[in-house]
Amino acid sequence: MNLSLPAMYGYLGQLAEGALITMELFLTSFALALLFGILIAMATSTKSRIVAAIWNVYASIFMGVPSLLVIFLIFYGGSAMVTGVFGDDASIDITPFSAGVAALSIVYAAYIAELLRGAIANLPHGQFEGARALAIPPLIMWLRVILPQVARLALPGLVNVWSFMIKETPLVSLAGLNDLVATAKIAAGATKEPFIFFIATALFFIVFSAATLWLATRLEIRLDRGLTRSKA
Amino acid sequence: MSGLPIDLALAYESMPALLRGLMTTMLITAVPLVFGLALAFPLCFARMSERPWLARSAETFVVFFRGTPVLILLYLVYYGFGQIKMLREGPLWLLFGSAFGCAIVAFSLNHAAYMVEVLRGSLLAVPAGLVEASEALGISRRKVFLWVRMPLAIRYGLKAYQNEVISFAKGTAIVSVVTITDLTAVANGIFEQTYDPFTPILSAAALYWAFINAIRIVFRFWGDYLNRHNEAGVAEETSSLPASALASVGGAPAVAGSATGTTAGTGKEAA
Repeated sequence: MNLSLPAMYGYLGQLAEGALITMELFLTSFALALLFGILIAMATSTKSRIVAAIWNVYASIFMGVPSLLVIFLIFYGGSAMVTGVFGDDASIDITPFSAGVAALSIVYAAYIAELLRGAIANLPHGQFEGARALAIPPLIMWLRVILPQVARLALPGLVNVWSFMIKETPLVSLAGLNDLVATAKIAAGATKEPFIFFIATALFFIVFSAATLWLATRLEIRLDRGLTRSKA
Repeated sequence: MSGLPIDLALAYESMPALLRGLMTTMLITAVPLVFGLALAFPLCFARMSERPWLARSAETFVVFFRGTPVLILLYLVYYGFGQIKMLREGPLWLLFGSAFGCAIVAFSLNHAAYMVEVLRGSLLAVPAGLVEASEALGISRRKVFLWVRMPLAIRYGLKAYQNEVISFAKGTAIVSVVTITDLTAVANGIFEQTYDPFTPILSAAALYWAFINAIRIVFRFWGDYLNRHNEAGVAEETSSLPASALASVGGAPAVAGSATGTTAGTGKEAA
């Protein structure tokens, strides 16, 4: 141990900043992925063949390619894509953070949409027919009838995506984001204490996952209120 | 130029290098799959053991190596183990001295931790009555395991295994950080030489896509083969959720695809 206490505190502060960036990145990406996932699931729950074909291509691409590659593609090529679509006036700088948010939310929207599609397909068809028979407008039907039930069915799967996605956020550090993992790497190199910093970082992820898992169980119980559970 | 400017000439020119990268990616995927699975069996038995200390330590292993992002594991092995003096002088340095060896160690540990849960879920999904009946017939425990539990467990857990293999294969894209020139590293190298942001990465993406879907096809044939006795039981369309926490929250009932895939993670039959 060749690390003085004050130096340790200094690194601790940097690590905390890094952790904050990691959390910001993760929560922003997850929120966007959830939003896009819901919209995609709603849009693709029609019977249209064309919509289904487009969805299949999207899902196949983003589930068949490493997220890291998507991050690099958006980070390197993002500004070229923006000028390509909106013309030369709309030039923007792509930061690692925004590239990470864009990439992770695009990729995980596919996973979440797949999950929600499964849940929607598992709802009794009478729910849609009933809503139509009562002349409930489509938007209200989705918001008040379908999605609440979907939430209950899809929650365990969403928790899986959640805990898988948090483990993919460090990839954005490879595009140059100074997140927790990047900070830990710098600290480990400077102090020659790789075990302390990397294990501390690992524990951060483990504790975060465990804490959210606990919250998810709570949420699950709350969503399942009003349903009797058959205990086998 | 409009649309996505893909330089076909550059893509064609860089194909040999990319294919070499793909070979490295396949190697760095295949080797840990073997080691990880080999490690997962004893760990799974320990995890299911009735001795608390054994079960507890196996569980700790799983929680740590599954909960840690692979990138951190890779850093930990690559930068960490090089610091240990004893290791430097010992014969294990052959393994930890090379980036490739470190990547294999880190990936194998990660894959093993995931596979412990996949295996456990699949084994627990085998109806207890079947095992009891076999034991009542006087079949030895070894034979019951080999000829009754395992064959069924493979069927129950195939989907979870496929998901884990696929997400693992995609996860290997990070090895470029420890100087291994896999497919991602080759694409990055071409980008740095040409500053073409699309061609190398999209070409690499196409190769990854082909690789991942080849794995899917292999699993589909495997599943069809295992289910050849019942035509109706052919696996449904692949739900390619990250294998991840299949077991961590007791699976994703009702959503995560086919019936077999769902039972695999829950282990509700355990009680």
